[in-house]
Amino acid sequence: MTLTAWQQLLDTATSVPGVRGAVLVSIDDGLVIAESAMDILPTAEVAALAAAIVQRTLRVSAAASQRPPRSVRVSGDAGTLMAFVADGPLWLVAVADPAAELGRLRLLLGDVAAALR
Amino acid sequence: MTLPASSSPTPPRGHAFLELGERLRRRGQLDAAATVTAAGLAHYPDLGPAHDLLGRIRADQHDDAAAAAAWAVALECDQGNVGARKGLAFLAFRGGDLAAAERHLEAAVLAAPHDPEVSSALDRVRAATAPPIAGPVLLDDPAGGIMLFDREGMRLIGGVGPDASDEMADAVAAECAAVVRESVRATRLLHLGPWRQVIVEGPDSRSALFPVADDATLLLVRGASTPVGRVVAAGHRATVAARAWLERMT
Repeated sequence: MTLTAWQQLLDTATSVPGVRGAVLVSIDDGLVIAESAMDILPTAEVAALAAAIVQRTLRVSAAASQRPPRSVRVSGDAGTLMAFVADGPLWLVAVADPAAELGRLRLLLGDVAAALR
Repeated sequence: MTLPASSSPTPPRGHAFLELGERLRRRGQLDAAATVTAAGLAHYPDLGPAHDLLGRIRADQHDDAAAAAAWAVALECDQGNVGARKGLAFLAFRGGDLAAAERHLEAAVLAAPHDPEVSSALDRVRAATAPPIAGPVLLDDPAGGIMLFDREGMRLIGGVGPDASDEMADAVAAECAAVVRESVRATRLLHLGPWRQVIVEGPDSRSALFPVADDATLLLVRGASTPVGRVVAAGHRATVAARAWLERMT
């Protein structure tokens, strides 16, 4: 898949109401591969923090003798960080407002992550 | 003025028969509506909306099998046919198959993410599948898939399921504490507010972490087919029980 195609899919994710931005992250090093986000969203920090969380959940799965997770969602009072495995070490990470409809967003982002493969 | 069902009106040219068929259906003239729609389908057999309309007519006629068949054809014509998904969800819901209803509505939401009627229907189905009020939460049963651990990753009580040893539960607790630390850091640095939950979905399980106290976190583990909403609801109940347990311990 080309960078342009990735960018289009990230733009699709960001067009969902309540999504502040979407980032394609390499969880091996926490670096941004592609992004589509509002200016105020620190995508580099999002990538690094999301990668750290995903890496830790991978270790939980290993400790439980289970296969790696497909998605991780961290919710706070003021927003949610959602991460979906895309392709190998690449994960789609999005940050959403509290007002976002998370059920719908979960399905859409899962779909976009699958399309990134 | 109403058209008698026996008049068998001639369908208009093009796709206008859809409008006429729907109007007749809404008037309750179901036989006439079916005749118009069937005539239109003879000309446009691959027109998904026409099969969807036929499904609605058959459902109004209480012929669920014919309705389901019509909607199935509509989906063969167009997988994104929201009307067919809604119709099949309706039939499943009426038949008590809430999981199937949820699946169809989830697919409908994907096809029409901004349709408030669809998302509202999905909310209703999910509310109907919410867990019943259950008995007390048994924190001290390791097989229950509920575990409490402290900020250092030490297991306080519970376990991660019937197939997991105490050693495995201890290892999971240690790694989960690291997930909590990273989640706290992420929510603070990204201004997401105090963390409320972490939900992890995988091919083998769905699990969730909830803060119970400053120095204690609850992990709830369920099967991979458990609806996420049910995992969260069970987690909230378990959190209340865990707080009470902590108070008794201190």
